[in-house]
Amino acid sequence: MEKEIYERLNKVFRDVFDDETIEVNSETTSKDIEDWDSLEHINLIVAVEQEFGIKFNMGEVTTMKNVGEMVNIIISRINN
Amino acid sequence: MNLTTFSFIIFGIITIVTYFVVPKKIRWFVLLISSIIFLFYDNFKISTIIQAIVVLVPTYFLGIYIYKYKDTKKAKIFLIIGIIIILGQLIYLKYTNLFLNTFNNIFKLIHVNYKFNFVYRDSVIGISYFSLIMISYLIDIYRGICKPQKNIFKCALFMSYFPILTSGPFIRYDSVGEDLYKGHKFSYKSMCYGLVRILWGIFKILVISQRLGKFVDTVYANLQAYNGFYIVISAIFFTLQLYTNFSGSIDVIMGISEILGITLPENFHTPFFSRTITEFWRNWHITLGAWLKDYIFYPLLKSNFMQWLNKKCKNKFGKKIGKKISLYLSMLIMWILIGAWHGGAYTFIIGAGILQFIYIFLEDTLAPIASKVNKKIGIDSNTFSYKLYQTIRTFLLFSFSMIFFRAASVQQALQIIKNMFVWNPTILIDSSSLYNVGLDAYDFRLLIISLIVLFIVELLMRKMNVREKLFKQNVVFRWTVLYILIFTILIFGCYGIGYDPASFIYRQF
Repeated sequence: MEKEIYERLNKVFRDVFDDETIEVNSETTSKDIEDWDSLEHINLIVAVEQEFGIKFNMGEVTTMKNVGEMVNIIISRINN
Repeated sequence: MNLTTFSFIIFGIITIVTYFVVPKKIRWFVLLISSIIFLFYDNFKISTIIQAIVVLVPTYFLGIYIYKYKDTKKAKIFLIIGIIIILGQLIYLKYTNLFLNTFNNIFKLIHVNYKFNFVYRDSVIGISYFSLIMISYLIDIYRGICKPQKNIFKCALFMSYFPILTSGPFIRYDSVGEDLYKGHKFSYKSMCYGLVRILWGIFKILVISQRLGKFVDTVYANLQAYNGFYIVISAIFFTLQLYTNFSGSIDVIMGISEILGITLPENFHTPFFSRTITEFWRNWHITLGAWLKDYIFYPLLKSNFMQWLNKKCKNKFGKKIGKKISLYLSMLIMWILIGAWHGGAYTFIIGAGILQFIYIFLEDTLAPIASKVNKKIGIDSNTFSYKLYQTIRTFLLFSFSMIFFRAASVQQALQIIKNMFVWNPTILIDSSSLYNVGLDAYDFRLLIISLIVLFIVELLMRKMNVREKLFKQNVVFRWTVLYILIFTILIFGCYGIGYDPASFIYRQF
């Protein structure tokens, strides 16, 4: 399932940051993607929410450290 | 009690010595007692201490209830009650006049012959800081980032830890909370590091900021007499005065905490080397920016209304421009709030708020055009000269906005700006004019030398940990630097009778 989530995330990231070369993994952070600043962060979050039909809470939004953590949250939501 | 007064030094020493003398388990209690004394010592009024209790008691209980009813509707209600109590008091104490002034202006516009009189209310020191700190405490419990503190006295210490009551920084419970309660071991290294930082802060405040203030105050006390370059220099001086005062206070606060073993978040990172206003605000009053981002900007952007607006705009203007509209709207709201936090007057809302938004908006929208133009006429933006130009431009733009910040009213600020457009460069070389504005030739030279020292140290700070480097040097060099710093403060500092003991600019907020 994780592999599928990463594939779907790649699609979302490419769409939000307008960059077809993006390839995310669990270690990817905002430092690795040039346009990923605090302004784009929310756009990304909302796009991920729509893709997976889930909701992040604000605590998760502000404390998420890397894509791996994001994926863990997504998995826990889908399983519920 | 101001940070650079003799009484504060004694107070700090007593606190630090007592802290390390008592058993580890009750060390935090020493900090609490000191904080209560500090709150009370500010104006000896019971009424203002009550303001602190109005924040503490509801926050303590609501925090526990929010946690108990986590993920239910009740938790949300408790959170809202808490925010209303804390914000309500803050607005009542600090912003009544802003509203009265607004009503008066509206009355004037619609020709109603009525005018509200302004009210003056005493407030407890640090209320703008601890109110926001406690709001973040409640929200963090609600968001599941931290657990509530069960001991009300410990909760009180988190809220009122005395160093931060004067000038911040904004602390978060999940990162600083436990650090306050731990009984830290005494460390000789931390003491030396802390002491150097305190001295550096006092140097910035007493030697640089106070001296700059004399020039600025003279100009602002007699605005009819000054125009052109006098105004330009006073605007630049005020910006430097504000920075050295505010960051100097933070240095003292961080230094004390370092000696106690408590790590606080940094509030400045050499902001005047920034190349854009956006970058500048990432390095200036960092913890305020982070607070607003986490508790206002993100929730606002993620709100249903903004998402709805985002969708509408994307459909209408396309993806690229569409998503910018809700972003700019959220930014405008956030910047107005940043301005208002600095003070309940239009001068702050414009100077530290709306103007900053306009700068960032222009930077964001003009950047692609600028880079195209540069490419066409062959300007390389990656050269030292271009970076220097950007840095100076950012500094001057910020200094310009600070004219509003310093002025008594918006009308006065506009008048000052009008007076600025007089061409009188001769005052810059004619020593008799410039040396008559609060500072004589001696003071001026001293000021320039200290500003150069500040510049060099900040330049080094961008490349290395200056204190670490200093303590790696041999003992003679180390102590020479320390003694020079101490004697510079003692000999050249502006303190004692005749000076308002460093009235902290950022304290009034």
